[in-house]
Amino acid sequence: MLRQGGKSTSFVSGTKKSVHTTFKDGSELVEEYDLKTDELLVRKKRSKTKLGGEGKWEYLVGDAPVHFNAEGSTIMESSSNPIFSRKDTDRHFQWRIRNLPYPSENYEISIDHSDNKIVVRTKNKKYYKRIEVPEMKMLDASLSEGALSWHHANNTLVVSHQKPREVLELELKDKTERKTMETRKDDGDVQCNQQ
Amino acid sequence: MAGVKTTPEIKEITKIERIGAHSHIRGLGLDDTLEARAVSQGMVGQKEARRAAGVILKMIQAGQIAGRAILLAGQPGTGKTAIAMGMAKALGEETPFAMMAASELFSLEMSKTEALTQAFRKAIGVRIKEETEIIEGEVVEIEIDRPATTGSAAKTGKVTLKTTEMETIYDLGQKMIESLQKEKVQAGDVIAIDKASGRISKLGRSFARSRDYDAMGPATKFVQCPEGELQKRKEVVHVVTLHEIDVINSRSQGFLALFAGDTGEIRSEVREQIDGKVAEWREEGKADIVPGVLFIDEVHMLDIECFSFLNRALENDLAPIVVVATNRGITKIRGTNYKSPHGIPIDLLDRLLIIQTKPYSEEELRLIIDIRCEEEDVEMSDDAKELLTKIGTETSLRYAMQLITSSYLIAKRRKAAEVDIEDVSKSYSLFVDVKRSTQFLIEYQDQYMFNEIKASEVQPMES
Repeated sequence: MLRQGGKSTSFVSGTKKSVHTTFKDGSELVEEYDLKTDELLVRKKRSKTKLGGEGKWEYLVGDAPVHFNAEGSTIMESSSNPIFSRKDTDRHFQWRIRNLPYPSENYEISIDHSDNKIVVRTKNKKYYKRIEVPEMKMLDASLSEGALSWHHANNTLVVSHQKPREVLELELKDKTERKTMETRKDDGDVQCNQQ
Repeated sequence: MAGVKTTPEIKEITKIERIGAHSHIRGLGLDDTLEARAVSQGMVGQKEARRAAGVILKMIQAGQIAGRAILLAGQPGTGKTAIAMGMAKALGEETPFAMMAASELFSLEMSKTEALTQAFRKAIGVRIKEETEIIEGEVVEIEIDRPATTGSAAKTGKVTLKTTEMETIYDLGQKMIESLQKEKVQAGDVIAIDKASGRISKLGRSFARSRDYDAMGPATKFVQCPEGELQKRKEVVHVVTLHEIDVINSRSQGFLALFAGDTGEIRSEVREQIDGKVAEWREEGKADIVPGVLFIDEVHMLDIECFSFLNRALENDLAPIVVVATNRGITKIRGTNYKSPHGIPIDLLDRLLIIQTKPYSEEELRLIIDIRCEEEDVEMSDDAKELLTKIGTETSLRYAMQLITSSYLIAKRRKAAEVDIEDVSKSYSLFVDVKRSTQFLIEYQDQYMFNEIKASEVQPMES
C-alpha cells in the first residue's frame, strides 16, 4: 500500500524477494520478503534531500545495520540502549523495544490523538518514544486505545495495534500484486541490484 | 633487571593557530561613517583605499548589484591582499568569500573556464531552510578514555544525554570527541548536535545546575532541559554556496558514487537545472540569495581567454562582486603580444573600479611593525623597531617583517627577553634582501653557471 504512486520492480536474490519502488519526487522504497513465508523482513525508505543529495535510509520495518567506527563516525547510540524496531504480524502492527530491563509497572503506553502517534513512556524517565504509523497516516485513520495492547517479557516491550479492516484489505491486494509482478531471478551475489 | 617501563605523560595540546602574513587583520578599520581610522583592526594607512573598499562593502551588503568588479592595484607589499582579507572579515561568516590566486586556474584536470565558473559559484550563497536530524539534550555524563599508549589506539568516549522524558548513551567518534573538547562541554550543559555534520552548539546550562557552587562567568545562560525525544527533526537555516549544490547534484548516484572521487567538471545541464531550482525557491520565498565576493589575487596571471570569459560572466545576474588584485604596471597580457595597463585588456579594465594602494610612509611602517611584533608575540626594544623601520623603508616591508622572527630567534639564543638592535643587525647581515642580492649577482655574474662564453664572443652562424 505504501507503493502507491510509484514504479515498482522486483527480483529474487537468494531466499529473499526484493521490491524496489521509485517515486516521482525521487524517493525510493525497498521491501524485502521471505520467499517461503512471504513475511515482510525489511521495509526502508529514503528521499532526496532538499539540495538534491541522497538522504539516509529510514527503516520502517526491520533493523537498520549498525555502522560505527570510532575514527570516521561522529556519534551513534550505544548498543546498551533500548533498540526499537517494527515487525508486523498478519493482524497487528507490532513494535519491539529490546534492552528494556525495567519491570512492567514502569511503562505507560498511550495514544496522542493530537498527532495520531503511540507514545511510550517510562516512569523512571529512561525511555520515551513517539511511534508513527505510516499506513494509518496514509489512510487518514486514527489509532484507537481499544486496539492497542502491550506486554513486557525477557527485557523486551512489545506494543501491538490491531490493523484496521482497510489496511488488511489493502495488504491483501498488495500480496496479489506482488505475486503477479514480473520478477527477475538473480542467482549468486548481485551487488548492484537497485540500479 | 629489566627497567621499569613508564608510559610518557600524555599532554593534551590544544591546536595552535599558525600565524600567517595577514593573521593580524580583523576588518577594514572603518568607523560608522566609513572614514578610515588611523590604526584599527590591524589596518594601518592606505586610508583612501580602505575608504573605497568600505564603499564597496556597503554595496556588497546591500546585495542588489551583481557582477561588479574592483581592481586593487599597487606596488608589491602595499596591502592589497590585506584589504581583501579585511573585506572578508568585515563581511562576516554568512557572506561567502572565495579567495584564489589566478594561477590556480591552470590545471590539467579542468579547463580554465570551468575553474573560473566554479570559483564564481563558490562566491554566491543560498540561504535555505533544511530539515536535519539533531540530538538535543542535557549532558548527564561525559566520559573519554585515553588509551594507555600514545599513538596507536584511538580515543573512545561516551556521552549520556537526557531530556525531561528519557536518557540515552551515545558512543563518540574521534571527531566528535575533539569537538566536544574544543567546545569544553561538561555535565550540565544543554547541547544540540547536528547528526549528519557532527556540529555541536552549546545552548546553555541547565536550570537544574543553577545552584551549583561553581565558578560561573556572568555570560552563563540558563536554559530548560529539553522535552520529549532526544532525536528530533528540525528545520535549520544555513547558507550553502551554489558550487556546493552543484557538487551534491553532479555526484553519480547509487553504487557509482563509490567510484567517484573528484567531481571534476560539472556539466552545464546540472548547473542550469540548479539555477532553475534556486529561482523557483526564491519565488516561493523558501530561499534567499546571499551574494558574496570572489577575490582573485595576482590577476595578471590570467590569460586573454580568461579575461574575455570574465567579461561575459560578469554580466550574469548571479555573478558575485569580483575583486582582483595585481602588482603589475604596463605589461604584456598573458597569451598575447599586446601590452596593457596592469596586464588586463582595456575592455575589462573599463568595467573595473580601480582602487590604488600607495607605498607606506615611515610612520605607517613603524605601526605595522608594532602590530606584527604583537601578533608574533615578540618583545622588541624601541631602538630595534626604529632600525627595522629604516630597513623597511630602504628595502621592503615584507623583508622587514621577516626579520622580526629571525631576530627574535637570535635574541632567544643569547637568552634575552627582548629583541635588541644588535639582534636585528645580526639578522640583517645573515639574511640578504633583494637589493643586496642583486648587487652581489651583478658583481659575480661571471662566476655563475652558463657564463663561460660572453655574449659578445658568440659569432652569428653563417646562413
